[in-house]
Amino acid sequence: MSKPELWVVAERRLDHIEPTTQQLITKAKHLAGDQMHTVAVLFEATTDHLEDELKAYGPDEIRIVKDDRFPTATDAEIADALQQLVTSNEPNSILFGATITGRSIAPRLQAKLQTGLTADCLDLRFDDDTLVATKPSYGDNIMCEIICPDHRPQMATVRPNTFVAEPTDGAATVTTATITFHPVKRLQVKTATPVVNTATTVGDASRVVALGRGAASATTINTATKLAEKLGGRIGVSRPLTDQERFTHDDQIGQSGNTIHPELILNFGISGAVQFLVGMQDSQTIVAVNSDPDAPIFDVADYGYVGDASAFMTALLSQFN
Amino acid sequence: MKIVVCIKQVPETNDVTIDPVTHNLDRRGLAGVMNPFDKNAIELALDLKDSRDDVQVALLTMGPDDYAESLREGMAMGADEGYLLSDRAFAGADTLATGYVIAQALKKIGDADLILFGRQAVDADTGQVGPIVAEFLQQPQITYAASLRLSGDNEVTAERLLEDTKQTLVAQLPAVVSVRSELNTPRYPTPRNIQLSFDKPLTTWHHDDLDLDDTRLGQAGSPTIVTKVYAPEPVKRELTKLDGTPAEAASQLITALKGRQLI
Ligand SMILES: Cc1cc2nc3c(=O)[nH]c(=O)nc-3n(C[C@H](O)[C@H](O)[C@H](O)COP(=O)(O)OP(=O)(O)OC[C@H]3O[C@@H](n4cnc5c(N)ncnc54)[C@H](O)[C@@H]3O)c2cc1C
Ligand SMILES: Cc1cc2nc3c(=O)[nH]c(=O)nc-3n(C[C@H](O)[C@H](O)[C@H](O)COP(=O)(O)OP(=O)(O)OC[C@H]3O[C@@H](n4cnc5c(N)ncnc54)[C@H](O)[C@@H]3O)c2cc1C
Repeated sequence: MSKPELWVVAERRLDHIEPTTQQLITKAKHLAGDQMHTVAVLFEATTDHLEDELKAYGPDEIRIVKDDRFPTATDAEIADALQQLVTSNEPNSILFGATITGRSIAPRLQAKLQTGLTADCLDLRFDDDTLVATKPSYGDNIMCEIICPDHRPQMATVRPNTFVAEPTDGAATVTTATITFHPVKRLQVKTATPVVNTATTVGDASRVVALGRGAASATTINTATKLAEKLGGRIGVSRPLTDQERFTHDDQIGQSGNTIHPELILNFGISGAVQFLVGMQDSQTIVAVNSDPDAPIFDVADYGYVGDASAFMTALLSQFN
Repeated sequence: MKIVVCIKQVPETNDVTIDPVTHNLDRRGLAGVMNPFDKNAIELALDLKDSRDDVQVALLTMGPDDYAESLREGMAMGADEGYLLSDRAFAGADTLATGYVIAQALKKIGDADLILFGRQAVDADTGQVGPIVAEFLQQPQITYAASLRLSGDNEVTAERLLEDTKQTLVAQLPAVVSVRSELNTPRYPTPRNIQLSFDKPLTTWHHDDLDLDDTRLGQAGSPTIVTKVYAPEPVKRELTKLDGTPAEAASQLITALKGRQLI
């Protein structure tokens, strides 16, 4: 008997693979062990080779469906193509990135298949062949475990950057599948243009360069501005810096400022007072640079450097260039 | 032109706790309020109503009888009428079973040109109900719209922000749209509109008022089951030290951030 299939639906971002796809392939391989067959499902135009960005992560199979209409296909058209593949392959489970795209296509497919979909998951495991998905709710204050015992496939969307993508040596078999593309004439994507940085406040930024009293000189702030631009992010500050003319309370992170959870925050010259930490400790990746090895900010950091904030920032910026 | 805005009522705060004895969510004393994202959908509908004189705005919610309060609030903002779908048989529904009842009610209301949803409910946070309803009604969907305007007699043009792409989409009506909160600032009910709202029609439909397949309702019609609810553990982090000169340390950081796909 062939192994049950565990799918990851590959997502494209303009001409690339959305990184969440690679993260999910790594997670799917761990979940599958040798019990399941991991398949990355990829929709692309005839001349595309997005599979080249998936192979290194070693799914058992990359199943490609080609059609020149896919790059601008709408949610319902992709969901329809997926439904056809599900009908012919009967996967056990399907994982999507909980991106805007994943969160739009997955529920449309869920309705077609009349099955369960758990949203925005932070963890996944299998109990026998039941997928147990952990999802946050009430603004991440509560976690719940959700299963879909009697319907297949089991489906989940998974929050970006929850898992780390790991390249492996295993070779992926590349196969092609065919479906009938059913155009939905009533909805058309007229334009798709890249946006670099849509964050207008420190609260919406997915990358934040945070400055404290140990990184408050005008030159350091200028370097930090360039660094934030390179990262596609914004500057945020600890409270003492709101006294400077360039910053206002809107830029402040912490108990009496913004509570933020960007995917990346770099803290320069910030001691890590509890009133600051409550505003940022749920960030996904935390980096701290401080000249004091005992600064409390290091207790919540993933990466730390003991040394001068300005020197480190300058070195980091020059290596970006 | 008829617009139906789907709204949900949610607990007033997200500061919910777990009852240490029953391990259930402790929702005692939490008042219900309209899901804040749904006010953006109502505002969009009212904006369209302000721009032409043939627009009728109806609100629709599925939930217990006290959800009528959110319907009243929406009517006080300026919506013309409200529909409450209330029945014990609908209780415990996941997104699929919720979407089914809403879709059946929309079929009964009939001829809606535009069906609007909020971005997501702030409690369960799935954002799934809109696309499910769109599929059940076989209508085009535009999710997470950042702007929307009527661009023809029977057509809307919307902008949609993906992670790093902005799309412009054009849909023929009828269509289903869910909106982002950046789209607008919801208006407050004025005293006059509050007064007027009490005379606006609020229709309640129970199980027998709709054409329903009983196997698709409520908990029994929900494929998903919540098996455990708990308070999250604080994230435990392990500090990786960067060392050497600033240049060496910066280079270690760049490698690490590339590994995490952050750059
Ligand atoms: C009710 C209340 C609410 C508050 N709310 C907030 C809030 O919302 N947000 C907030 O930020 N604060 C808030 N605070 C203030 C908070 O307690 C701290 O005072 C503040 O966060 C300290 O900011 P800091 O880390 O920038 O400065 P400091 O604590 O002075 O730390 C500066 C750090 O920089 C390091 N340093 C110095 N020179 C260098 C160098 N050359 N290179 C590298 N490192 C260097 C030092 O070792 C030190 O750790 C609040 C306080 C109260 C009482
Ligand atoms: C802690 C918790 C976690 C849950 N997780 C999941 C899950 O992962 N998967 C799942 O399928 N179900 C889940 N549910 C069930 C889900 O909350 C209900 O199905 C709910 O009725 C609709 O889903 P939502 O709250 O996520 O709304 P969303 O899909 O986020 O709501 C989007 C929009 O749909 C409209 N809408 C939503 N509900 C209604 C309504 N009752 N009446 C009218 N319009 C409405 C509003 O416009 C709203 O802005 C969960 C429930 C709880 C309590």
